[in-house]
Amino acid sequence: MSTTLPRIALTPGEPAGVGPDITLQLAHRPLAAQLIVFADPELLAQRAALLGISVSLHVISWPLARKELIPHQIGCLNVVPIPLAQPVTCGKLQSANAAYVLETLKQACQACLDKHTDALVTAPVHKGIINEAGFPFTGHTEFLAHQTGVSQVVMMLATDTLRVALVTTHLPLSQVSATITPTRLETVIRILHADLQSRLHIPHPHILVCGLNPHAGEGGHLGREELLTIIPVLDKLRQEGMQLVGPVPADTAFTTNSLTGIDVVLTMYHDQGLPVLKQQGFGEAVNITLGLPIIRTSVDHGTALELAGTGRAKGGSLYRAVQMALKMG
Amino acid sequence: MQKPIIGIPLGDPAGIGPEVVVKSLSDSQIYEVCQPLVIGDKNVLAQALTICQLPANLHLVKTPFEGQYTLGTIDLIDLQNIDMSKLQKGTVQAMCGKAAYEYIEKSVQLAMSGAVTAIATTPINKESLKAAHIKHIGHTEMLEELSGTTDPLTMFEVRGMRVFFLSRHVSLRQACDLVTKEKVLEYIIRCTEALRKLGVTQGTLAVAGLNPHSGEHGLFGNEEVLEVEPAVQEAQKRGYQVVGPIGADSVFHLALMGHYNAVLSLYHDQGHIATKTLDFERTIAITNGLPFLRTSVDHGTAFDIAGKGVASAVSMTEAILLAAKYSPHFDTLGTSIR
Repeated sequence: MSTTLPRIALTPGEPAGVGPDITLQLAHRPLAAQLIVFADPELLAQRAALLGISVSLHVISWPLARKELIPHQIGCLNVVPIPLAQPVTCGKLQSANAAYVLETLKQACQACLDKHTDALVTAPVHKGIINEAGFPFTGHTEFLAHQTGVSQVVMMLATDTLRVALVTTHLPLSQVSATITPTRLETVIRILHADLQSRLHIPHPHILVCGLNPHAGEGGHLGREELLTIIPVLDKLRQEGMQLVGPVPADTAFTTNSLTGIDVVLTMYHDQGLPVLKQQGFGEAVNITLGLPIIRTSVDHGTALELAGTGRAKGGSLYRAVQMALKMG
Repeated sequence: MQKPIIGIPLGDPAGIGPEVVVKSLSDSQIYEVCQPLVIGDKNVLAQALTICQLPANLHLVKTPFEGQYTLGTIDLIDLQNIDMSKLQKGTVQAMCGKAAYEYIEKSVQLAMSGAVTAIATTPINKESLKAAHIKHIGHTEMLEELSGTTDPLTMFEVRGMRVFFLSRHVSLRQACDLVTKEKVLEYIIRCTEALRKLGVTQGTLAVAGLNPHSGEHGLFGNEEVLEVEPAVQEAQKRGYQVVGPIGADSVFHLALMGHYNAVLSLYHDQGHIATKTLDFERTIAITNGLPFLRTSVDHGTAFDIAGKGVASAVSMTEAILLAAKYSPHFDTLGTSIR
């Protein structure tokens, strides 16, 4: 990263969910970074009072010159103020605040693009309420791709023991087959390979690629996408020297044998890989967006509206997301 | 109560079947819950004991009622269909395909007559069966034909979690089209019936969602709203204990925690990934809808390690234990004839 003490832009996400809670928990965790929260300071102050977390909020005027260091201090958070439209009640979604949620993301993303910050870390948003408010939104990943002017990104989730990347993310299962074109698959693998090298510092990534169909199509008997799309793309990229295994049947891709020597499993659709990862490391996974011009990590959980303000939200995933962002610099 | 007799066809003699059978039958927990009877070939079994360096005696019987069923003695119906001078471990042979078929045929006869309560099958090899000109190259097709049933319903069980499949061997794209209200309702009814036959009458069946996060109310995919939810509601109206759709992210996790008696997955890999990733070796298939109880290992003949004595018997043991676990219930419901 560009300074000795990297700057992390953080968005607490949906204000009625656990995002503010777990953001406040970070104030009491040690971090070798400058942490900058893009949020309404009033929201954070109210939630801190509700949770009994003592925190001193420093509202900063933005942008802050890079030479001015504001190292993370226990009990303190630096906040770039962005006002809410409506006061928040824990657990109660309000479409009036959807624009606020998007604004925090836009500003934090822009800060990274402008190199005022080195990485973006996000807490969960609520897709439903953003759409209800009239903003088409399928997820952080897609939103940030749009904001940064990138046409293809790759969503990857990581625990200590397993990394899973997705060729398709939030779309109907019936559209997955048509969406996986040779071009898309090739682009995704190129992004994954390049970012594993540059961001995750793996010099020779080994990628295990799942098939789309049962038994990876069984020679075309159970679907032809493997023959028509996946195998030709893998063959092409192997000729460039990429270490690609597959396509393998997804149901045995995650056994210990098949994961030996593998750095990441590339799955064709959301539910092919994410349930496995969640089963193995719920609350411990970090969501990473590859292919963006910025570093971006996130929690692996949702807004957990029912836990907001109760003190029962667990901040482990957000803390891991920050740690991961620091490692990726 | 008498322990159930479980018929175990030996599988392809050139594969790991004989080795995993003798290993399983050296495990005392098997004899605590059932009376295992092998349907196979004496010489093949003797060779497997030598390969695995296990000391059991072989006791040949003509009918299941003559068995001793004690640890250290393996009771066997000997079909004498293997010429040991020609048997080559790890290779496709017509002799072995034919033999494997005959073991299954005999096992089904015994199960149909009620002489054995259940069968726990070992791996067979499609190529060997083809070489022997056997019409059916899959277990399920054979069992259907031999028992005169159609459209059996496969269930997986692993660590107490039961999983059914709305569709299995079709492409993912076709599987999506098969998610209709009618079919989901039909399967809720069939799954409930299958569970009842296994003695599982308490608890709630969960139907998985099809799309990511179950479609998030139609945001990405509307099969949940248009097909699955109406099917579940209709079933509830008819008195079925069923909930859903529940996203694949959480439905299996909740099932493992004991919230559901089974999960109806909506496509092959949804249920397969959840079970096999959890514990590949202990994932056992149970074929419902046959006139008898049948469990099966889900691994193959593993020709690459056959004859080396290294094959793991965890799956085989689990398949026999599950057959034993469900036998009393299956029996008391009068589905098999004694």
